[in-house]
Amino acid sequence: MYKNLETYLEEISHFLSGREEREEILSEIRSHILEKAEREGEPATETSLDKIIAAYGRPRQVADKYLDGQPIIAPAYQRFLFRYTWLLFSFHFVFIVIGAIFKKSFSIFPFLFIPGRDIADIFLYTPTAFLTDFGIVALVLYYITWTGKETKLPWPKFAIDLNEAKPVARIATMIGAGIMLALTVVAVRLFLKFQTIFLIGSNFEKLRPLLLPKPGQLISLAILFMMAAGTIVLFIKAFSASRRLAYWVDAIADAITLVMIGLALHQPFDFLFAIDLPPRSLAWMHTSLTVTMLIFALMVAFDLVKNLVRLGRRRLVK
Amino acid sequence: MDNELGSIETEMKRGFLQLLVLAVLEKDAYGYAMVQTFRNMDYEIEENTLYPLLRRLEKRGLIKGKWELSEERPRKFYAVTGAGREMRDGLLGIWKKQDTIIRHFMEEKRHV
Repeated sequence: MYKNLETYLEEISHFLSGREEREEILSEIRSHILEKAEREGEPATETSLDKIIAAYGRPRQVADKYLDGQPIIAPAYQRFLFRYTWLLFSFHFVFIVIGAIFKKSFSIFPFLFIPGRDIADIFLYTPTAFLTDFGIVALVLYYITWTGKETKLPWPKFAIDLNEAKPVARIATMIGAGIMLALTVVAVRLFLKFQTIFLIGSNFEKLRPLLLPKPGQLISLAILFMMAAGTIVLFIKAFSASRRLAYWVDAIADAITLVMIGLALHQPFDFLFAIDLPPRSLAWMHTSLTVTMLIFALMVAFDLVKNLVRLGRRRLVK
Repeated sequence: MDNELGSIETEMKRGFLQLLVLAVLEKDAYGYAMVQTFRNMDYEIEENTLYPLLRRLEKRGLIKGKWELSEERPRKFYAVTGAGREMRDGLLGIWKKQDTIIRHFMEEKRHV
């Protein structure tokens, strides 16, 4: 018995575990290596066997050639693994942000539970959410592969335009960035002077806050934050040619905007205004503002999903 | 170029090796002896490719294996079966047809 040969066969055996003909495969390889050693040289020694073993191939490579099993996910469906994972994860992420904003738990499907967590907890929960989505998609694709049916998997063509966005002319982006910067500076100056950006008055000298100090300050800060994020995004796009970076900053800005909308919606509307308003006008304003904010949040959420899917697809293409 | 040629050769070999093994096993042989036979004809075959191929052909009933334990070392001898002969003739027909087509175009090229 040669120790190096037995170690080599043991390693091949490890990769063939579960195969009933394993012992026979190993016997045949053993017989071949020993015969080759004797025929091609002097009586077999551990040193002469080393060379023959090395020439026969690495254990996993040898075992692989005996294993011609079906892939876990058929090649035709493999590209859908990342496409669907990113799509599912994007929606999942938007729901996580919504759950964090409203601090309410909810479930979309029986298996997709969204816990109402703090904003900081999102960072801890997000990787788990991604792995869950990856697992769900992998399981579905495995099942489709296993059934052997020719299932055509859908992929949205019109709902989410995944074609690379046409780059806006750099000069237009720069002008946009300049305008946004100017608006942000004006808003910041107003905020520094009045502690709010919501003002009312017939002229500049007679301006007074529209909202009560605390909510006025909070909503103003949220809007300033969104404006600053928008300005930074435009400047990054103006000075960088990287599409990937553009998608990332868009996605981050969308996430920030969603959080800010959530904060704004959280303010108690009945104690918002510093001026007297008739109750009917107040109710009407409340409804129309909430609807507007929710439509805006939906648009931002859609853009966030689009950017995350684009990022996922670019990663897949790489 | 060499790498590309090598990878195409590997693909071409896949079918050819099946035909070759079915042809050589008209006479009983075991793995090591087959490798030597091919080597003597200046045709190299990787040992770790031959044995899994023999196993697959045996599973499909195209060859039959039998362990010979009477000699100093146990050896598994293989022989082609009736189904294997049918398969070999079918493969040979395909191979000849492919050869004829290639020759036709190479001849055409020579006359241009």
